[in-house]
Amino acid sequence: MADLALKSIHKSYGSVEVIKGIDLDIGHGEFVVFVGPSGCGKSTLLRMIAGLEEITSGELYIGEKLCNNMEPRDRGIAMVFQSYALYPHMSVYDNVGFGLKLAKAPKEERDRKIREAARILQMEHLLERRPSQLSGGQRQRVAIGRAIVREPEVFLFDEPLSNLDAALRVDMRMELSKLHQQLGATMIYVTHDQVEAMTLADKIVVLNNGEVQQTGAPIDLYKNPANLFVAGFIGSPKMNLSPVIAGEVSGSRIALGGEGLEQLSYAFDGHRQKPGDRLTLGIRPHALKISETGPVKGKVDLVERLGNETIINFRLGNGEQWLAVVDGDAPIGRGGAVAFSVAESDIMLFDENGENVRCLVSAVDGEI
Amino acid sequence: MMAMSSSATASNAPLTKRQRTSPYPTWFFLPAAIIYGVLFLFPTFSSIYFSLTRWTLFDSTFIGLDNFAQFFREPFLIQGVINTIIFALVTCTLKVVFGLGLAVLLTSDIRMRALLRSIVFFPVLVSAVGVGIAFTAMMHPTRGIINIALDLVGISGPGWLTNPALAIYSVALVEVWRGVGLATVIFIAGIMSIPQDYYEAARIDGASAWERFCYITLPLSRPATVTVIILSFIHGLRNFELVWAMTRGGPGFASDVLASVIYKQYQAGFYGLSTAGNVVLFVLIALMAIPLYIYLNRREGHQ
Repeated sequence: MADLALKSIHKSYGSVEVIKGIDLDIGHGEFVVFVGPSGCGKSTLLRMIAGLEEITSGELYIGEKLCNNMEPRDRGIAMVFQSYALYPHMSVYDNVGFGLKLAKAPKEERDRKIREAARILQMEHLLERRPSQLSGGQRQRVAIGRAIVREPEVFLFDEPLSNLDAALRVDMRMELSKLHQQLGATMIYVTHDQVEAMTLADKIVVLNNGEVQQTGAPIDLYKNPANLFVAGFIGSPKMNLSPVIAGEVSGSRIALGGEGLEQLSYAFDGHRQKPGDRLTLGIRPHALKISETGPVKGKVDLVERLGNETIINFRLGNGEQWLAVVDGDAPIGRGGAVAFSVAESDIMLFDENGENVRCLVSAVDGEI
Repeated sequence: MMAMSSSATASNAPLTKRQRTSPYPTWFFLPAAIIYGVLFLFPTFSSIYFSLTRWTLFDSTFIGLDNFAQFFREPFLIQGVINTIIFALVTCTLKVVFGLGLAVLLTSDIRMRALLRSIVFFPVLVSAVGVGIAFTAMMHPTRGIINIALDLVGISGPGWLTNPALAIYSVALVEVWRGVGLATVIFIAGIMSIPQDYYEAARIDGASAWERFCYITLPLSRPATVTVIILSFIHGLRNFELVWAMTRGGPGFASDVLASVIYKQYQAGFYGLSTAGNVVLFVLIALMAIPLYIYLNRREGHQ
């Protein structure tokens, strides 16, 4: 187990810069998830930590050691690949023990460690099989077993669940979480799936275009996204976002314009906004509550009943599509009018640059 | 797709019966069957027949197994068979070793990789006779460029093609030079089909470059290795052009291979006899290549 420090890490392929200066501290024993859309650089960053990609500039410390030019085997890491990369010509036993064999560990020690890993992962009965005789989930276990026996200080996972079907993914997610508790090792996990990120992470690092957008605990990112990108990326269904125009400022309150949302007003702590500013209003679908007198009004386009909850697609007065997630038995019909209220603390506002203005909301006017 | 497979399983028995009796699929088979029959089956079976006759190309008399009896009494036959096997083993082994080595080099990140690949493959395109004549000149004991070059560094070169103990090996080396390009291309294809993930996983597991070669490249390029072994072994057993172009089996009969022994009989007008020799060569190749092929593929299945 060790902590990691990334200091101004850059990566370029020729003139194309894919990682644009990343600073990050990862604590000892933390489960950190790198999340972002395809091509955001999260896998590249992981592979740089693993030593499979060169670091163009910046410094990478694992524990106390500067690792920029260190061979992967000397970094004290183990990695689980998306494809699992199990050696097809070796049995599960030999796959798991390959690293130990290369390290010239004595045969008894090797055997003990392989069997211990197999016990932890409940795959003792698979040891004599070849990878081609295993199911996806079993291969996944073997790949994790291969990482465990090396007793690494840091585990690296590169989208390890994306080749599994949905049900198995949920199971393996829980097992990984348990494994983290059991081993207490530092784990870095790359995924494009924000649900995996939310459920597994102690700390999420949201990446886009090779830059860190926000770092924090899952709930912080959900409740207090730093910018529009994080707001849109974290949370399912996606946050409702609509452009609004700042209206009259009175005291610490500001009125917001925007067709269909004319009569909302908020209180700010900073007074950085002035009338006429173009802002973006964000409200999560789960934050909308049906209320006949609510300020958010629209016409229902579609009702999706999932049993435990109902997703309402509705159209604001200005024609914009929003979503609301309400109780499963909410009496809503297609084509009807609907109105929602929203708690003050659930309203977010982003400025022209997409940054969260971290408003303090005191009230939402009651009428439209 | 699903509908097709379910209907196929549902009405499996009646469909197969109809397929068996329907003449329609036969039409697709016919063109290939005619070409195969005219170009392969007919010559093969007629040569088996002619090997049992005294044959002057215009008429033939059936003489039973006399040709075979005479062929096996041929004084230099044993030498020819031994040379054939030496030639096949030497060329096959060296093509595998050099082919794999070159393929590893040419799949790594070296400069001018595409150009080097073309250069390695180039000798494959040249005719064996041309290569043979060029190397005969270069291997001349006193005026050949090889021995002149060796002289410059103070080594007195051997008589590559004039020394009876050396001639067959010299020809084999030229065959390796000529054929290693093809082996390399097959190995390159085999190595490039190995997913990069295995190498990365092995690096993380702590494997050095040599260990990655031993534990990843070598076992996973096995299908290519089997192909190269079988192809170059059969090619070695059948070899004729290069031996004929370079030594004509000489000096004396020192570098005669089966094919050149057979050709000499043909030149002498013993057509039935040389056809019998060809049948023997065919059987010899089949007897060696088929068990080898089965052995190599069985081990592959076990892995």
